[in-house]
Parts: sequence; C-alpha cells; structure tokens
Amino acid sequence: MNTEVSILYFAKSAELTGLKSEIITVSSNVTSEQLWQHLEEKHPRLTVIRDQVVLAVRQEYVPLSGQPLTLREGDEVAVIPPLSGG
Amino acid sequence: MMDDEIAILKTKLLEKEGELADLKRKLDQMEKGNSRLTVLHESVTDLPPLKSHTTLSNEDIMRYSRQLLLPELGVQGQVSLSNKSVLVVGCGGLGCPLAQYLAAAGIGRLGLLDYDVVELSNLHRQVLHTELTLGQPKALSAAGAISRLNSAIHCVPYHLQLSRENAIQLIQQYDIVADCSDNVPTRYLVNDACVLTGKPLVSASALRMEGQLTVYNYRGGPCYRCLYPSPPPADTVTNCSDGGVLGVVPGIMGCLQALEVLKIASGQGSSFEKQLLMFDGQEGRFRSIRLRAKQAGCAVCGETPTVTKLQDYERFCGSAATDKCRRLNLLTKEQRVSVQEYKEILDSSTPHLLLDVRPKVEVDICCLKTSITFHLLVWRRRNLNRSRC
Ligand SMILES: [Zn+2]
Repeated sequence: MNTEVSILYFAKSAELTGLKSEIITVSSNVTSEQLWQHLEEKHPRLTVIRDQVVLAVRQEYVPLSGQPLTLREGDEVAVIPPLSGG
Repeated sequence: MMDDEIAILKTKLLEKEGELADLKRKLDQMEKGNSRLTVLHESVTDLPPLKSHTTLSNEDIMRYSRQLLLPELGVQGQVSLSNKSVLVVGCGGLGCPLAQYLAAAGIGRLGLLDYDVVELSNLHRQVLHTELTLGQPKALSAAGAISRLNSAIHCVPYHLQLSRENAIQLIQQYDIVADCSDNVPTRYLVNDACVLTGKPLVSASALRMEGQLTVYNYRGGPCYRCLYPSPPPADTVTNCSDGGVLGVVPGIMGCLQALEVLKIASGQGSSFEKQLLMFDGQEGRFRSIRLRAKQAGCAVCGETPTVTKLQDYERFCGSAATDKCRRLNLLTKEQRVSVQEYKEILDSSTPHLLLDVRPKVEVDICCLKTSITFHLLVWRRRNLNRSRC
C-alpha cells in the first residue's frame, strides 16, 4: 500500500535539493535504505551526504537499514546532515 | 548674588571632576589588575586543583540570589557550580554567549580556548569581543570580558590550537567540555578526547539560520562518532566564512549550550544526551530528534574500540582544523586570467565576453561593470531538473 509522507530537508540537504520540504508517495513498508535510495534518485546531489545523514521518522532516529519503516499517512521524515560551523 | 552662584557651581564642578578622575584611576587599576591575573597560556600546563567550596559567602548569596531561589538549583546546586570547571573549545559565535552565561552563573573555572585573533568580521556574532580588542587573541579578549563581568571566576585563556598532542592533558583537567568549534576535524578530536577521558561533551553548531545541539558521551548516550562514524567529504562542508551565519543564531545555540552545561554542573543532568535539538531560525521552530543509545560498534566508545588514542584528524577529515582556508579546486594557471591580464584586455578594447558566475549576494556586494551575471548554482539546479523531466 502506498502512503504520502512529508520529507523535511535541513542544512546541507536543503541546499542540495533546493527544497525545505516536499510530499512524496512511497510504499508504507519501505525500508530506510529504499527510502533514501528513492530520495537520491529524485535528487542525485544528495549522494554526497549519504554517509553522514541522520534520518528521522516521526522525530526518531532511524539507521539506514533493511528494516521496514511502517510509514503512516502524513508522517514526517527529516533529513538531517550535521552542521559544523560556530 | 549671581556671582556667588557661579562660584558655588564652579566649586561643585571641580569636586565632581576630582571624583571622576578618582573613579577613572580605580577602574584603570582594576583592569590592569585583571590582566595581570589572567595569564595567557600558549601551551597546556597542569593547573592547581580548583579550590573546593562547601558553603556560599554573603556576597555569593547576594549575587546569585535570583537563581538560588529556584528549587531546581538551590544552595547545593550553586555550590556545585562553583566547584566545577568547564572547557570552552572555541571563543566564537557559540563560545562567547556560552562563556558569558557560565561566568554570570558562577562556574568555578572557565578554560577559554581559541587559536585565532579578533577580526572585525567576528563582531556581529562573537559578542564578548569589541572594537577595542581587535587583533587580540580571542581567548584573551574573552577572558577580559569575563573577568569584568565576574571577577570571582577563575579564567584560563588558551591561545593555542587543540591537537592530538595536547588535547588529553587539557581535557582531563576539566569536568565538562563545550564544543564551540567551527570545523569538522576539531569536532572529531574533541569527541575522541572526551570519550578517552570520560567527560560529558555539550556540543552545538550553527550555520546560516540553523543550529543543532546534542550532549555526547553522557549517561549512556551516543558520542559524535556513534552518530557520524565517517567524516563528510571536505568539499561538501559549508562553514560560516563561506556560507554565512546570522549572528543571533549561534547566540541562541550558545545560550542553550550554557543551559545544558549549567544543568549538568549543578547536578540536574541534561535533557539532550539522547536527543538532537534542531533550531530553524527562518521558521522560528525547534525540533527534537530522539537518538539511539551509544553504539556497541562505535570506533571510539564501542565495546571493541579501534580508536584508543588520538589520531591525525586533519588527515582523517581531509581538511584543515580551521574554518578559513578551504581546499580550492583551481583551474591550471594557463586556464586562468589574472586581474592584470583582464585589465589589458579592457584597455586594448579586445572584444570579449565576461560572465560573472558568483552567487547573487556576492554580485550585490560588488561586480565589474563589463560583466554579465550568470548564476552558476541556479543554472546547475535548473539544468538538473530539466534533465530529470
Ligand atoms: Zn561512540
């Protein structure tokens, strides 16, 4: 079953995609790896932050793995690369 | 009658002038006294242990009365603050407000570390430095401001670059470390040194209109490496000197950092050992992400660590431990045109096309009249979208 979720882009990921947020349709039992892959296909420039990105679903950290996410309609997925400035 | 009044006023004026001169002399002496007390450290030495307090003096009670009233702090919490030492790594946009609030609140000892000197472009966010301290080491400038605010704080300014050679010796002398640095290699270095010496690391960062905050290596929470095992490729890192930052944003993050340091130092614990707080100044919004506990497989805080002593962090990250000179990808000398060569082209009226591909803000700051602006980033993005459709 497909579901609509909002992707929120922070810091470098907002710069790379040119977006602060977008709504995408994905399978509700997509894994975090597949979801990231999907985002990379949509925004190829995201590839460079793959190894540093923190992905959070419903305000909770999820590692990039093969575990299904069980997304629900309207869930927020945050893409959070680290900031290092001060 | 009139003459009498004039005479009286003149006498009064003289008296006031005398008082003023007296005050100026006193101020001068105190400032000199302060600068004698705060010796600038250019290398790491072992400090005498912090004098331990069990009670508050009358002056302490007056000074801290408004926070002593809080049941969360109380006398015990205030005494505890006065017995704690905090190392502030970086006296910039985060470190300045952080150090200011820690000093105001009565932390016992403050180590202020920065290798840099105060520049004019720092003053919009590094609020302890002033026009009068331009060119001074930031550590010294910050220490001066701190001692004027609270002379009871033992302030230790370090004008040096934190390195694999000195970090352990320095950090093990402090109870809590605040990472207020401006570059990736220093963030890994401070993290590893805190894990190896068992110190809580209150870490914040800021860029443009955004900020992040987490407490690492504290009560079973993750360390920086648990969250970011591998450093970002150097050319993907944007720092404040090329990305820009609105001064109040690191100010907000530095204040939040101060709050967490004070909670830990007074024994209340922190709210962020398994949380990543994000601040979006554009939307005026805070978000908090729940993090995992520390990772068994972490290279430094895991069960079988591979990092058991400090490394070469500049090599590990492929970038220098500064926010200044980024590694640039320049064209070869033959492919470039110098300003002198371009002047010749202009002077000889050689037909040419000059494209200015810099971002809009840079063009707004200054541009050549003979150029046509053509924003490379915008074009690249558009092109990317087009190729996708
Ligand atoms: Zn770790």
